[in-house]
Amino acid sequence: MFKNYLLVAMRTLKRNLGYTSLNVVGLALGITCSLLLYLVIRHELSYDTFHSKADRTYRINVDKISAHGPESNAGTPYPMLAVLKASLPELTPATHLYNEEGGTFTVLSLNDQEAPRKFREEKNVLFVEPAFFDLFDFPTNGINGKQALKDLNTVLLTQTIADKYFPGENPVGRVLRMNNLVNLKVTGVIPDAPENTDLPYQMLIDYESSKKINTFANDSWNSTYSNQQIYFALSPGANLKQAEDRLNEVASKYRPRSPGEQERYTFQPLTQVHFDERYGNFKSRTISKTTLWAMGLIGMFLVLVASINFVNLATAQALRRAKEVGMRKVLGANKQQLMTQFLLETGMITLTALSLSVVLTELLLPSLSKLLELQLAFSILRDPQLLLFLAVLLVAVTFFAGFYPALVISGFQPISALKSKTATARAAGLSLRRTLVVLQFTVCQVLIICTIIVHNQMEYFRSASLGFDKEAIVNIPLPSGKAKDLMALRPQLEAHPAIKATSFAIAPPSANIDMNTSFRYDEFSVERNFSVNMKMADEQYLQTFNIPLLAGRMYEKSDTMREFLVNETFLRQVGETNPQAALGKELVINGNQNQGKIVGVVKDFHLTSLRDKIQPVVMSTFTDIYLSLNVKLEQKNAKAALAHLQNVYQTAYPDDVFHYEFFDDSISRFYEGEQRQAYLFKVFSVIAILIGCLGLYGLVSFMVAQRTKEVGVRKVLGASSASIVGLFSVDFVKLVLIAFVIAGPISYYFMDKWLQDFTYRINIGYWVFLAAGALTLLIALTTVSVQALRAAFSNPVRALKTE
Amino acid sequence: MLKTVNLQKKYTTDEVETTALVNVNLNVRQGEFVAIMGPSGCGKSTLLNIIGLLDNPSSGEFYFLDKEISKFSERQRANLRKEHLGFVFQSFNLIDELTVYENVELPLIYLKVGNAERKQRVEQVLEQMQIAHRRNHFPQQLSGGQQQRVAIARAVVSKPKLLLADEPTGNLDSAHGQEVMQLLSSLNEQGTTIVMVTHSPTDADYAHRIVNLFDGQIISENVKELAIL
Repeated sequence: MFKNYLLVAMRTLKRNLGYTSLNVVGLALGITCSLLLYLVIRHELSYDTFHSKADRTYRINVDKISAHGPESNAGTPYPMLAVLKASLPELTPATHLYNEEGGTFTVLSLNDQEAPRKFREEKNVLFVEPAFFDLFDFPTNGINGKQALKDLNTVLLTQTIADKYFPGENPVGRVLRMNNLVNLKVTGVIPDAPENTDLPYQMLIDYESSKKINTFANDSWNSTYSNQQIYFALSPGANLKQAEDRLNEVASKYRPRSPGEQERYTFQPLTQVHFDERYGNFKSRTISKTTLWAMGLIGMFLVLVASINFVNLATAQALRRAKEVGMRKVLGANKQQLMTQFLLETGMITLTALSLSVVLTELLLPSLSKLLELQLAFSILRDPQLLLFLAVLLVAVTFFAGFYPALVISGFQPISALKSKTATARAAGLSLRRTLVVLQFTVCQVLIICTIIVHNQMEYFRSASLGFDKEAIVNIPLPSGKAKDLMALRPQLEAHPAIKATSFAIAPPSANIDMNTSFRYDEFSVERNFSVNMKMADEQYLQTFNIPLLAGRMYEKSDTMREFLVNETFLRQVGETNPQAALGKELVINGNQNQGKIVGVVKDFHLTSLRDKIQPVVMSTFTDIYLSLNVKLEQKNAKAALAHLQNVYQTAYPDDVFHYEFFDDSISRFYEGEQRQAYLFKVFSVIAILIGCLGLYGLVSFMVAQRTKEVGVRKVLGASSASIVGLFSVDFVKLVLIAFVIAGPISYYFMDKWLQDFTYRINIGYWVFLAAGALTLLIALTTVSVQALRAAFSNPVRALKTE
Repeated sequence: MLKTVNLQKKYTTDEVETTALVNVNLNVRQGEFVAIMGPSGCGKSTLLNIIGLLDNPSSGEFYFLDKEISKFSERQRANLRKEHLGFVFQSFNLIDELTVYENVELPLIYLKVGNAERKQRVEQVLEQMQIAHRRNHFPQQLSGGQQQRVAIARAVVSKPKLLLADEPTGNLDSAHGQEVMQLLSSLNEQGTTIVMVTHSPTDADYAHRIVNLFDGQIISENVKELAIL
């Protein structure tokens, strides 16, 4: 029996090659997308799940509520760990992690003949305590990490770094000098960190050494730095909530809260670190669960759209199978047997599409991995989970696409089927087909609308004024604490004609560095319950970035904090309406450490991405913590200017590696996640439309074939070609319009929610919806017309002869 | 073999009720060859479909092998069909995707006949119908007469007690038509009961009894030969 089914299925599919190909191609496209999305989602969900204590490992975060809203941070005060270890034994093992975002590494030569080799790393130099190896299960190739990093100034290199620094040599026992501050002895080589961790590292260094590297390190409970974090495991049986309360209780002894201040240390599960943008992680890459849900939904929708094609084409051409069904029934086949037969046929189409998808996925995965900057694995035979997914997909698609057609076809009455009188079945199928086509159009239109809105928001990011110039400005990172060395060479630095302005500062206006402090303004002796963002920069900052002054003047040149500038938001929050009124007022910041007069008010500029609100800003001079040289260049001579900058830089810092980045590049990196989303939306919309068109094309060609006689009669009676095309099109126009009415509100709802994530965002204009509707209509009509025109131009006599 | 008592069939659409059969009382005995004749639309095919368990009567009783089956479910009817009935249609109704051999084999597959026996029975009936040399051809590759021979082979391969033929020569030229009728006649001689609907008096001549239908009612019966009864 089974063999007979297979035989008939194969011969039928071969005979209706056009129909089969439409189905296979459509399904293959849909399945490929869902397979790719599955791989992405699975990868994102796998972050740090491979540690044996993953389910009870946590990070300590800080949640604050201040005047300008909630603030979240993963940085913890430096003395906290010691207190935690002493008073909360149930939080064991616990470790500090300090992530230094790169640095300069000098390989000290074994003898004096050889020149030392210098390297610069841009990210992920991780300082860990021995407990790190108890808490996490990173691969170490048999090396005992605890032993290897038990001494001060020791380092474990990853294989990649070992190969880069010591090609063909044994690195163990050699010495690396980091940032010209610390000598680190290599104690071993470990495999590279896995891709799916939010604790990425290029090397692991003993934690004690970080105190010489981390310029922010101190013993105060009042300062935190987001690159300094605590992870711990909760002992089995211990109560998380109680432990959290206890920690806050103990900590409050060391860090008394001022009135109105709401601050709490909270425990975040390790497995959630990847999904919560508020706290971030060392990988600087989070993805929200909502985005993953959206991806999953898109994957499902694409398979759905392709399955709908299948249902539509199969029911539309059910008539062709009527005689066979009738005869099988006459010969005693029951409904179940016939359903099995037709489901098997669907299964074969799905299996073919699935095989094609596997090949397509193999081909497309490298591009997707590159686009998303992920290393996605796809080795089908060694991946039981993936095989299970494919099996589930095969069964689900087969049932979803095949069940209804099988039900319709197997339900034919044998006599009517033999006489091809299946009018009732056809009519029922027709209204279902209409509904499904509406569903397809709805999915397409929702995707088109989302694509346009995401694209517009991206354009807005690109073009919105941030309150400062970002073009033709380069940022050059400086070794910490050594800005003075280069500042001394400033006349030489500015001597090049292509250099228009220079400014030393802690960071450019928009950057990921945040320094916050409490303050007192004018006569208020009590500290305000909101903190201000400190921007430390020299007197040429406003000029370099073209930030306008609203009142007063720029502060004078100085090495320490003497005079202050504030921004408009600051004024608003202290209740000042007139910028002039703030001038000359006294400001005390950093406890009572720094004091000075406000000499000017700057126009608001954006401190971070457009996701966040502009914070109150206080600007002043403080040479010791400048970490960045910002240079405005003449664009056409940029190359020569950069060479000149490098020369001067190397004169000031002969042991460091010169490195620069264009400011607009670093700003566009704020939106990398959204850029990727925008691109994915575009790709998937195009694919959804393509699959939809394939189905529509097949459906219309079928309708045309069915109505050949009607077209013939109409033409004989004098119908024009245009009216024939209209005959076929009018139905689809109605369906597109119905879909439009459904798609509009759905996409508005979701995109409005998506835009809420951005403090600065576009308005969704009605034209977006009209454009999407018009585009869908155009695509649908073009597809329909191709087939309808063929019917319109056919010879009516031939059509009628077939009777 | 089969008996109908006051059999009625009505077709109801949204607006019109059409009566296809009115109080039909028909008795067919084992081994009989009955021809049903009448003008187009008189209800011949409807009657054949009910006898063939492809349709249910609206009222009346229908006995097949001494069982009242007019209220049988589709599944029960399907079981009776595959075990006891064979069908031959005017338009052959061969499955285009299957070869001659596979078409003939199909009823045995539904009857779950074992592989070896199936092969032997199919070969035997193909020989009997003189179509064995075409066993690997597809229906489209055969002439009308050959196609009908395949259809008859398929109808008798399961050794049905009753063979129903609906205008079996309607699509054939007279030479092929005669060939088919001779085949049916010889099957009847070997014991198969046959009920045949036909327009053709020549074909009806092969039957023992001719039942004339008009406007859904039996108006006369001509018994040709009593000898075998």
